[in-house]
Amino acid sequence: MKSIPKLIRRFVGIMSLSTILLITLNIAFFAVVFVRNTSTFSPWDMAEHTGAALQLTDSGYFVSDDVTARLKEENAWAFLIDNDTRQVVWQTDNLPGNLPMQYSLPDIAELTRGYIDGYPTFTGEAQNGLLVLGFPKDRFWKHTRASWDYSFIADLPQNTILILAVNMVLIFLIYVAVDSKLLRSIRPIINGIQSLSDGSPVHMKEKGVFSELAEKINKTSEILQMQAELLRKKETARANWIAGVSHDIRTPLSMIMGYAGQLENSKNLSEMERKKAAVMVKQSSRMKDLINDLNLASRLEYDMQPLIMKQENAISIIRQVIVDFMNTNIDDKFPIAWKTADTLSACYINADKDLLKRAVSNLIQNSINHNEKGCVIYVSVVEDNNTCRIFVEDNGIGASDEQIDRLNNTPHYMICDTNTTQQRHGLGLLIVKQIIKGHKGEILIDHSEYGGFKVVLIIPK
Amino acid sequence: MNEDYLLNKRILVVDDEQELLDMVLSILIEYGFQNVKTAKNVREAMEQAEKSRPELAVFDVMLPDGNGFELMEQLRKGSDYPILFLTARGEEDDKCKGFGLGADDYIVKPFLPKELLFRVMAILRRSYKDENPLVCLHGSQIDFSRAEIIKNGEHIPLTAKEHDLLSALYRNAGRIVTIDALCEAAWGDNPFGYENSLMAHIRRIREKIEQNPSHPVSLVTVRGLGYKLMIKGK
Repeated sequence: MKSIPKLIRRFVGIMSLSTILLITLNIAFFAVVFVRNTSTFSPWDMAEHTGAALQLTDSGYFVSDDVTARLKEENAWAFLIDNDTRQVVWQTDNLPGNLPMQYSLPDIAELTRGYIDGYPTFTGEAQNGLLVLGFPKDRFWKHTRASWDYSFIADLPQNTILILAVNMVLIFLIYVAVDSKLLRSIRPIINGIQSLSDGSPVHMKEKGVFSELAEKINKTSEILQMQAELLRKKETARANWIAGVSHDIRTPLSMIMGYAGQLENSKNLSEMERKKAAVMVKQSSRMKDLINDLNLASRLEYDMQPLIMKQENAISIIRQVIVDFMNTNIDDKFPIAWKTADTLSACYINADKDLLKRAVSNLIQNSINHNEKGCVIYVSVVEDNNTCRIFVEDNGIGASDEQIDRLNNTPHYMICDTNTTQQRHGLGLLIVKQIIKGHKGEILIDHSEYGGFKVVLIIPK
Repeated sequence: MNEDYLLNKRILVVDDEQELLDMVLSILIEYGFQNVKTAKNVREAMEQAEKSRPELAVFDVMLPDGNGFELMEQLRKGSDYPILFLTARGEEDDKCKGFGLGADDYIVKPFLPKELLFRVMAILRRSYKDENPLVCLHGSQIDFSRAEIIKNGEHIPLTAKEHDLLSALYRNAGRIVTIDALCEAAWGDNPFGYENSLMAHIRRIREKIEQNPSHPVSLVTVRGLGYKLMIKGK
């Protein structure tokens, strides 16, 4: 099954693409959220700024109006712890009421790192003290004990990449495992369908994910096999029927032919009566040929006549056919001219001798049948590198272009699958076509340069 | 050559159809055969064979109580006369079987009287040729038993190959015999490549049998195809 590797490639491709897409999307999403939630406002900067803005004057500590406004805007408050006394020496008006006014060193460390009484606080350096900036309780979240191994932070970039890679590999493996399981369970189905199309019988195990499908394929196979068997039976019956009929006709026809033959040569009959008997002989011979043709055509059509192929000398076979005609057709109405070059005495082909003889004699008989007034029949064999060409031609009435076209292209009524009432060409040529097909050869029908009809049989060597 | 002696041969015809038997009988008798017996089945045929000791049997392949092949096997046990099959089936397997067992020839029904007579005479001539060995040609005679030609009162011996070739031609007297068939008769199963030798032999035969070998009248060439032996009275 050629499509399975293709299928796997496609699955893996889709999977890799989707993973990459997913990661990119995630990164983009986080970036957007992060940017959105991180304002340019930094509480540490503000504390630093406020600390720097605080000025000691004669009337005490003083901060400019715009800084005060800025603090209000952020809803923040601030106070200043004096370096020496650690007392609150300055504060904004909105300082929450319950805050202590005196701070020990641990208190300062605590508020720098985290909160005072739940309020997030930030510190900035001021003249003679430490400025503490506080915000409402729900304004910031602070990580009070943040500390990591140095190496952890140092290795973070490559670790991140590693984790991502491991994730990807894991996803890939899971995908492949799942896919190959699926493909494994599909494979018998694919094989089954392939066998169906080949016409061979299929029986699959009806279990697993696709049990229903397997069941249907089995059923289809059964139906197909049944139909093929039925068709074969029908064809055999038809061929047997034809064989039977032609067999049964032979004995009665023997008597007609036999007695007519005797009468034809009887000295007790008048010339006129002998002529009538001669017609009976001729017509019964035609019937005999027809029976033979019908029988052979049906046997060839339904593959009941296996070809017995051997290396044969085409020249010697065709010579025999011609001589048989010359020996039986005593009258000179149909002389046969052997036109093969004298230098060509052998042309070896792989052929069924009897059937090839039959093909050539059918062609000669055709020339005889279609030229009531007589004609010369020219037979020759030409050899080239790969083929042996057998020419059977005559100088008789020939055929029109249209007729030749029809002979080359129209199926015979015996193998035509549409209803037909039109009388087509005889069985003789059909048999020739069947025989040549069996030899993997070609047949060409054309006008002859001698003026009549030409048939060329091209048989591979 | 006088073939009248062949007409005295005892012939047994076996077929289950009475009318076909009558017809074959009438063809043979009209031609001049005098000892023709008939039988309608295997049993009758065996009895008749016992009684009349035929010299040629003509069988139908299909008989009501057996088939011709079985009958032939039984008859062949005691004697060795030629057998000609009549068959309504032209199929290869029957033919092969018949020849394998030693049938001498077969005719597929329906057949013309002249076909039947030609085969019967050919088989008889082949099987019983010694009784009258002189074959008359235009200008000479062939004596097959002595392998010589009698021309102008002179006895000219034939070589083995010449004898084989003349026999093959004589068996088909008046008919063309192909070059291939002649080569096969003289050189056996693998007769290819002997065409030139054949021509040389034919030339030597002509020198022996013809009055004027450059204008042959008895051994005629059919160009490219074969040769034909013409016998006086044929």
